[in-house]
Amino acid sequence: MKRIAELFRRIFHLRQRSEFGAGLAEEMQHHLALKTYENIREGMSEKEARYAAQREFGNVTLLNEDSRSEWNFRWVEHFLQDVRYGVRMLRKSPGFTAVAVLTLALGIGANTAIFSLVNGVLLRPLPFAQPGRLVAITDVFPQGAFVAMPSRLKSMDVGAYLDGAEFNLTGRGEASRLYGTSVSADFFSVLGARPAMGRVFVAGEDHPGQDNVVILSHELWQKEFGSDPNLIGQSVSLDGTDRQIVGVMPPDFQFPSQKTQLWVPLHLDPRNVGSYWGGGFMPIIGRLRDGVTLVQAHSELRAALPQFRVLFPWKMPDALWSGASVTSLQEKITGDVQTKLYVLLGAICLVLLIACANVANLLLSRGVTRQREMAVRAALGADRRRILQQLLTESGLLATCGAALGILFAINGLKWLKVILPADTPRLGSITIDWRVLAFTASVALSTGIISGLAPALYAAKTNLTESLTKGGQRSGSMGSSHRMRSALAVAEITFAFILVIGAGLLVKSLWELFRVNPGFQTESIITARVTPNSSFCAVPARCQNFYDELTDRVRATPGVNDAALVNVLPLDGRIDAFAADVEDHPRNPSDPAPVLFETLITPNYLHVMSIPLLRGRALAPADYAPDAVSVALVTASTAEKYWPKQNPIGKHVRRTFVKDWTTIVGVVGDVHEENLAERFPDFIDGAIYAPYGVHQASGRPRPKDLTLVLRVSNNHMNYAQTLQQIVAGLNPEAPVSEVETLRGVVTKSASEPRSTVLLFAVFAALALTLAAIGIYGVISYSVTQRRPEIGMRMALGAQWQDIVRMVVGHGARLALIGIAIGIAVAFALTRLMKSLLFGVSATDPITFIAVSVLLILVAVAACYIPARRAMRVDPMVALRHD
Amino acid sequence: MVKNIAAHKSDLLPGTLEMLILKTLDRNDEPMHGYGIALYIKQISRDVLRVEEGSLYPALQRLAIKGLISGAWRDSETGRRARYYKLTAAGRKQLIEEVAGFEKVLEAILRVVQPA
Repeated sequence: MKRIAELFRRIFHLRQRSEFGAGLAEEMQHHLALKTYENIREGMSEKEARYAAQREFGNVTLLNEDSRSEWNFRWVEHFLQDVRYGVRMLRKSPGFTAVAVLTLALGIGANTAIFSLVNGVLLRPLPFAQPGRLVAITDVFPQGAFVAMPSRLKSMDVGAYLDGAEFNLTGRGEASRLYGTSVSADFFSVLGARPAMGRVFVAGEDHPGQDNVVILSHELWQKEFGSDPNLIGQSVSLDGTDRQIVGVMPPDFQFPSQKTQLWVPLHLDPRNVGSYWGGGFMPIIGRLRDGVTLVQAHSELRAALPQFRVLFPWKMPDALWSGASVTSLQEKITGDVQTKLYVLLGAICLVLLIACANVANLLLSRGVTRQREMAVRAALGADRRRILQQLLTESGLLATCGAALGILFAINGLKWLKVILPADTPRLGSITIDWRVLAFTASVALSTGIISGLAPALYAAKTNLTESLTKGGQRSGSMGSSHRMRSALAVAEITFAFILVIGAGLLVKSLWELFRVNPGFQTESIITARVTPNSSFCAVPARCQNFYDELTDRVRATPGVNDAALVNVLPLDGRIDAFAADVEDHPRNPSDPAPVLFETLITPNYLHVMSIPLLRGRALAPADYAPDAVSVALVTASTAEKYWPKQNPIGKHVRRTFVKDWTTIVGVVGDVHEENLAERFPDFIDGAIYAPYGVHQASGRPRPKDLTLVLRVSNNHMNYAQTLQQIVAGLNPEAPVSEVETLRGVVTKSASEPRSTVLLFAVFAALALTLAAIGIYGVISYSVTQRRPEIGMRMALGAQWQDIVRMVVGHGARLALIGIAIGIAVAFALTRLMKSLLFGVSATDPITFIAVSVLLILVAVAACYIPARRAMRVDPMVALRHD
Repeated sequence: MVKNIAAHKSDLLPGTLEMLILKTLDRNDEPMHGYGIALYIKQISRDVLRVEEGSLYPALQRLAIKGLISGAWRDSETGRRARYYKLTAAGRKQLIEEVAGFEKVLEAILRVVQPA
């Protein structure tokens, strides 16, 4: 309290400083007057008396000042004074200021942009009520198990969702395709999300007969429904079924991802045993009840899992859910991108450090030329701390300007980031520059000011007074220590740049390796498109079959199209169609998990269109497509090798679990990458078969209604979207055509995640390299200027221009070599951290390390080019006469 | 820097001046101005303690900041205006504490210097 009272007194005083100052002067004058009076009384003359009084009292102005400093914040005054002076100094050398501010702005701006990414994705709490109480179960559960959860889990309220529900929106102009998520009725209330309009789902709406409702995303409401304020309660046709629009979510609600355009309730129907217990397994989210900890919820879940397992109407393997745990929802959502983001943040910090080193170098050279100024200030009574404070204020000013400009860079950089990052990056929409980012930028600017300013300031404040004042001023003092410091900074820059370029090099090589992977099919001259009739339309199988037959014929007859086929799941498009299988020669204990086979259903020309090679046996024949045909299939080479090694797979059998009839293998085809270029399949898939599209009774195979059309075309650049649209609309106006793309585009898109990382890293590395080159240039060219007399002397003594160039370039190369040597050691330790981002390349790939070393030496030598030429042109006479 | 110069000129132990000011104001019921305080200390100590006049006013300011004394403007005997200081309650308390502390130190010093 006392301190606060004193603070207030001080603040009050700061405001009325002059008034008090005047009072103080008056008080002292009064004292002098009394003293003088007394002196006169003791017999002095008036003049003598005043003089004696003053002598005894001391310097009134000084004391006035001294007394006043008890009252006010002296440092505030000094600080403002330093700022004013700093601004004047920076304005006096606009070239220096521009370079320094720009360098720092690049560093700080890039840091701000990447940090806002980290902040938006990883740090910012989820935009839901009490986000800290939200959890997720790290496994997937069938509907039956989810329904049993509330009665057995007392520690949390649970909700389920299944991403990837697609719908045809019809009856509103051209049919279009929407991407949605099926959710349990309490999903929104568990998240604590409120609608912008209408309501969220209520209990019971996930049961059959009550589930014809839908909630729209804000974006869909704007795009498809023209932001109609009276939309709630209206009906909309999704996949041929009318659903009532009950709510519209706010724009920031993007769960599970920003791709989600609408939410529909789950269809929880215990009578449909197949989908209730064997259908889409769902991720589960939960909200911890009051007073429950994450650990408690986790142990409760672990104890309850065996009870859920025995609920299945058939025996499930013991290993089911063996890894299930309860984690925070935020961690679950962002777990995949954590490494990548932190590696990027680390990389951009290095760029900033290089920028700092560059500015420090600039300040150092300026410090040398300003030595005289510092000496004068010291002579006038400024102590070392005061000079240090002034110089740090100057570098702080530079950093502040850099930060202001940097924020502008960051705003634009963020727009670019959002474009190049894959659209399914979690929480992409929530990346903005908020107060946390600004606080981060401010602290970065502050530390930047100190880091880049401290070494030069310490150096300048150390100035030897007499030497500086007596000698020439410009080039005096402890030149050696300044030179060492500048060289050390240049070496540090090279080291940091080396590490970054190594990182970028490894990533570029990974990407190159990735695109060198043979996906197992031909990617050129192929156009793909998704065709999706309504469920009601395909409820009559013959109608669906006719539609696709007719479609294939018409497309094939289109000019420019050489061949066409249909497939249920296109490789690399992110979809999965798989089933649990019995495999011949592999009897299975019921407590073991069944093999899961990826199933590609194809029309007759598919393998031919895609150029997938037939390795053994025969391809699917037209007879195999007859409704009464025997069920046959092809397997991929790796599947055959896995289940029947060194045997002839032709004639072996597989079948769906719970289906009586076996399917006979008639051929072996080449392997295809279904998941991405790095992995053929997700890890839960054990093999792959190709079966004819159309046969479904005997094999127990449900007939998918959505297929992808693949066309081999002679002109890749033609726009087929409209042609296809017209053909499909002519056959079935309610079937939209979506995802029209070249197969090459599909392949490229599948690698958009690594590509974005590589692109960012490459940009950082280029930035780092440029800054480091500027750094070396600065050091070398400064040293050339310093050594001009020496160079002139050497030339006068007969040195050739080659010798001079060798001397200058050798200096730069030496710095580079030291930097590279340190860089190699550090990079060896650091690149391990990015192992998970690499593909087909070891974290210590020797080729990359050698190539990058050579590159850096070349850059260093190139940076010496201009100073070397300047050194060459030194006129011995002029240089020698100069001093 | 400037502050240091002032400190050097003082012949008193650091901190003693403030105590002397407080004691002076305590002994005199009437508020006193700076000159009066300096004169009083000089007279009472029989000219031994000479208050460095320059450091008196900073000390008065310090005490005022701490709320130990309060000052008010009044016309003085010369006809000029002067600030008259008096002890506050907090100042009185502080004085008791400081005197106690000072006496302890003094006693200790005397024990050391006195012959055994």
